[in-house]
Amino acid sequence: MTDLTESEVIEVGELDLDQWNDYAAEQGWSDGFPLMVPTEEKVERMIEACRGDNEPFPPMSPRRVAPTLQSIAANAVMAGCKPGYFPVVVGAVRAVLNPDYNLHGTLATTHPCAQGIIVNGPIRNALGINCGSNCFGQGAKANATIGRALQLTLLNVGGAKPGAMDRATHGSPAKYSFCFGENEEESPWEPFHVRRGFDADESVVTLLPSEPPHNINDHASTTAKGLLKTIAGTISQVGANVISGDAPYTIVLGPEHAQTIHRDGWTIPDIQQQLYEDSKLHVSRVSDEQREFYKERTTELVNDHYYLSRGPEDIQILVAGGPGKHSAYIPTFGHNDACSVRIKQG
Amino acid sequence: MRIVNPSFGLEEGSENRSDAADAGSTDWSRDAIAIISNSKPNARELLEGVRDKMSAHRATDNIDYFFKDSAAKPAPDALYAEVAENYKGAILALAD
Repeated sequence: MTDLTESEVIEVGELDLDQWNDYAAEQGWSDGFPLMVPTEEKVERMIEACRGDNEPFPPMSPRRVAPTLQSIAANAVMAGCKPGYFPVVVGAVRAVLNPDYNLHGTLATTHPCAQGIIVNGPIRNALGINCGSNCFGQGAKANATIGRALQLTLLNVGGAKPGAMDRATHGSPAKYSFCFGENEEESPWEPFHVRRGFDADESVVTLLPSEPPHNINDHASTTAKGLLKTIAGTISQVGANVISGDAPYTIVLGPEHAQTIHRDGWTIPDIQQQLYEDSKLHVSRVSDEQREFYKERTTELVNDHYYLSRGPEDIQILVAGGPGKHSAYIPTFGHNDACSVRIKQG
Repeated sequence: MRIVNPSFGLEEGSENRSDAADAGSTDWSRDAIAIISNSKPNARELLEGVRDKMSAHRATDNIDYFFKDSAAKPAPDALYAEVAENYKGAILALAD
């Protein structure tokens, strides 16, 4: 067989779909679900959507080889992406290759983090990215395949093979795919990407190494104060990586919770400040051995509390989901930054 | 059937690679050695145990302990520079 480390195009013989999937699994290219065949024609159609994006890619950890548009497109085809999705996939790849993202750490760690993809701007609606009901769940081809394409790229180009270079103790279902859009239309505040310095009419992808969402159920509170108490209590957990206090994490407010908090006059900075203070962990909840470990690793204890981020601004607030009295907490790997990339369309 | 290789990648340029030390040139019986922790729990105990074992065979006053600030982040460039400048070999603790 052709040396896989040398050839961008390879001859695999005549294979039907079942044989192709067996072959791909033998090569270690599969995430366990069926894969489409990355023929040259399909890959070319994918790349057509990114014409003009000629900026080279830096090497991808842990394997330390640089992806090409072709190899990323091959993974996007295998994931089932439509060509129009490809600029989002490429933007996501560029985001995780930002050194501030700490890709190597997120892939080689025993922690279960996946690459969480947040999409903002007009491309959400153009591609049918689900920002509403069940936006973290099944059913939307764009969400499912864009997230999957990134994961396959990290597996196949990056070399993050489970049990080998991907050392996750358990992993998580989010490692198959984790992509959603902000429900900008139902958010009472500026869109998330605008608060990160982009124009409202730009399409932006923001990546953060993320645990799967943890639900925050509050059907009873009818005030911002009440809802934020519930949210802070959900964040305030022993045993989360965010106790290192050196990374952002995400709160996804359901539209109904967002409307209640906004109605009571709260701004995003107000919410961040309240959650920062009210989510801090009292030292009595932490084991003696963990305290010693944190002390050695310079996690600061402030007035007998651990703060779970560097400051209020690390708490990323956005709105997504549909009707219902639920929000979500998305903890992060804990040693990284959120990285945003403007999506370039061909 | 021809496919585009989903694992294809361009090798990092040789100009980006640091010159690897020639491990064969290290005299482990007497040269200065760095023992470097990945900062996971018990890494220090493991490495110090290795140093204690080595004391049966050699002087250990030039075997020095280093650690990263976080297990999840790369070692800072200054640490690489210090080890490269002052030590002929290094023993790393890599796993949990």
